[in-house]
Amino acid sequence: MNAFTVAATVLLACFVPCGIVIVRGRPIDGVVALQLCGTLTVLALICMAEGFHRTTYLDVPVVAAVLSPISGIVFARFIGRWL
Amino acid sequence: MTENLLVDVLLGVGVAAELVCSVGVLVMRTTYDRLHYSGAGSTVGAFCILAALLVREGLSSGGLQGIAAVGLLFLLGPVVVTATARAARRIEHGDLEPTAEELERGR
Repeated sequence: MNAFTVAATVLLACFVPCGIVIVRGRPIDGVVALQLCGTLTVLALICMAEGFHRTTYLDVPVVAAVLSPISGIVFARFIGRWL
Repeated sequence: MTENLLVDVLLGVGVAAELVCSVGVLVMRTTYDRLHYSGAGSTVGAFCILAALLVREGLSSGGLQGIAAVGLLFLLGPVVVTATARAARRIEHGDLEPTAEELERGR
């Protein structure tokens, strides 16, 4: 293991507090935690691509960085209007 | 040697910042307090991890893709935070207009 794979592992562990909020909190709090999960996903993917020496895999976090905020906006608008 | 140390320090700071944000989302009481931590996740920690990537990769295609990913997170993050805060306000008060009590407090 190198520094980037260790960083990716800790970033994945950061999903646990967010998961607790998603499961136990109100729906709008779950959306907030989901947004942080999107950010953590992008950063973990960057660390994994570099840690496994596959820089071509860095395409994936770029796509995730576009889609993650869009999904957050969709969820926020849905919950704000219909829940 | 120096490069490895710099990468380790930058990754450590970045991951620690993300850990603080994650725990903050869990510990805080209100939605707005949680939004502070969620929004901060795409700033300090993300840029430290990007800096570590750039130290290792330089401005190669991998480095540029990292800049694109973190740049998109940084630019789109406030949009999502604003949309979520508006949704939370709509849930709590029914609309986005200030209440009479809030108007009185602002004077």
